[in-house]
Amino acid sequence: MPDTPAGVVRTRGAALALGLLCLAVALLLVAFFSITVGARPITLETVWTALTAFDPDSTDHRIIWDLRLPRTAIGLAVGAALGLSGAVLQGATRNPLADPSILGIHSGAAVFVVLGVAVFGITQLSAYVWLAFIGAGVAMLVVYAVASLGREGATPIKLALAGAAMTAAMQSVTNAILLTSPRTLDEIRFWQVGSLVGRDMEIFIQVAPFLAVGIVLALATGRMLDGLSMGEDVARSLGQNVGRSRAIAGLAAVILAGGATAAAGPIAFVGLTVPHVARAMTGPNYRWILPYSMLLAPILLLGADVIGRVIAPPGEVQVGIVTAFLGAPFFIALVRRRKLASL
Amino acid sequence: MPSRTLLSLAVAAFALTPLMAHAEPWSYTDSLGNTVTLDAVPTRIIASQDAAAGLIPLGIRPVGIYADGPLADAKALQGLDLTGIEIIGQAWGEVDIEKAAALQPDLVIAEYWPLDNAWSGGENVVNALTPLAPITGPTNGDSILALIEDYETIATSLGADLDEPSIAADKAAFAAAKAAFEAATAAKPDLTALAVWAGTDALYVAATAGAAELMDFHAWGLNLIDPEVADDRGYWETLSWENTDKYQPDLILVDNRSPATMETALAQPTWTLMKAAEAGAVTDWPAFWLRSYHAYAGELDKITAAINAADENLGD
Repeated sequence: MPDTPAGVVRTRGAALALGLLCLAVALLLVAFFSITVGARPITLETVWTALTAFDPDSTDHRIIWDLRLPRTAIGLAVGAALGLSGAVLQGATRNPLADPSILGIHSGAAVFVVLGVAVFGITQLSAYVWLAFIGAGVAMLVVYAVASLGREGATPIKLALAGAAMTAAMQSVTNAILLTSPRTLDEIRFWQVGSLVGRDMEIFIQVAPFLAVGIVLALATGRMLDGLSMGEDVARSLGQNVGRSRAIAGLAAVILAGGATAAAGPIAFVGLTVPHVARAMTGPNYRWILPYSMLLAPILLLGADVIGRVIAPPGEVQVGIVTAFLGAPFFIALVRRRKLASL
Repeated sequence: MPSRTLLSLAVAAFALTPLMAHAEPWSYTDSLGNTVTLDAVPTRIIASQDAAAGLIPLGIRPVGIYADGPLADAKALQGLDLTGIEIIGQAWGEVDIEKAAALQPDLVIAEYWPLDNAWSGGENVVNALTPLAPITGPTNGDSILALIEDYETIATSLGADLDEPSIAADKAAFAAAKAAFEAATAAKPDLTALAVWAGTDALYVAATAGAAELMDFHAWGLNLIDPEVADDRGYWETLSWENTDKYQPDLILVDNRSPATMETALAQPTWTLMKAAEAGAVTDWPAFWLRSYHAYAGELDKITAAINAADENLGD
């Protein structure tokens, strides 16, 4: 019975699964480039011996292990986290422009990092992780609490408005501190741009457990987000607890965005753009959008990082700048080409 | 009435004559050729952070200082007695106009930075202060020593006595430090040095011509490796941390404006790709802040010791 709806669904599912496989292969390929391509030319052969027979006296081997591997690992983790958190936020708030920066998560993380540096004199990147985490959580809580005020509760529009207000307020605090404390500016200028450089494996190991929990939690929200995407009333009539769904999705987003921001600084556009690309590929089903976003985002992030390494030798361009350059026109093209796939 | 006015004028004139005979006019011509002339030697001086660092050790105490950032971060002012001096600014481009006016300054002394085409503190500060008093001062050029000598000239015109024992002692200590530095470089003609600033994102290599103290070190016999490509303003070449071994100096000088720079450098896994870093041939580079014989002597001694300890064939 070839043309029954069930058959169509099955074929579509198979195609999407195949697509996911292709993305996984592409991701491996980008990770391979991230390890083999850099500001310093290192032959494939050397990379291979570095990975299989590490020689601590070899410059190239140390560059592979101390710089490129941590960078690749952090790029993979941060990318997956940004893509997923963007998709979850867009689904939970039903706002096509939702991303960690719009809901105040970036600015909350930034203000805590700046306060930690300015007031407590913290200079280690490993301590930034915790500050950024707490800041992201607090900002998200406040945004959610403010948006929940009033009769309709936390509607998508109120969430976006509260997030924008939060971002404005937090940024002014951040700027006030930075203007009066050039030392703090020096300390965090680098963090503020968003970069995968200068983070060692320790940072990755610190955030990895959180991101793992966040990824599992986020992937599990697929069914809830599908329910929410039909509208709150429909979701409710299907027996879904809308408030609880939003809370779980919000928690996943905070863990992911907070962890990603902590590890790499605020990186723009990845969380915003990637879910739209994923949606264009998969259609409106969040059970597919989420894994697609999780694979697409690190491809974009690591790809941007690799580009940043080779366009300005002997220096490098930070990945936050490259993603903004790549992401902005791409996003404009996406919006202009067709109406955003409905949420 | 006219006669009374005339009389009072006459009295006033007589009263002022002896004063005016005593007050000598003061003038100073800066490197741009602009001359500031005042009726009397100025005593109430507002100085920029760097100018204060140049003047105070020579015995000229300003009434007010504007700093480029928090006073605690002003490396040039460390160790100087600032009691009784009003701090009228602690951020780049900012100055408290009310405090400045209350000081009733006769003169503002700052430094002219030709590469930036600006006075210390920038346009905003200059616009705020020049209605109160004229601005002048030495030009930051290709030698710290020449800059200090310019401060000597201006301080002498303001009444400083350079023969005063402590000032003379600082100058003698500097002369000894410079002689020791020259002897150390002469003893190791093949020794090469690299001046750097370490950022988390990259290693920045200084161009000699961008820093007056590096020009001095070069003039006194130190072979500084110049980066191949400097940025648009000619200060730095940016090296990815993957490329830290692009240059192999025998001795590394690390910008010491903030202790964080050395910490950042040491934390990088590829820092030791430079053999000099591996060997510990690393010392401070007093970047952009030296303004007195005393401070200069101290920093030179550190570098001289590092040169004496360094292996001149390390980086080959």
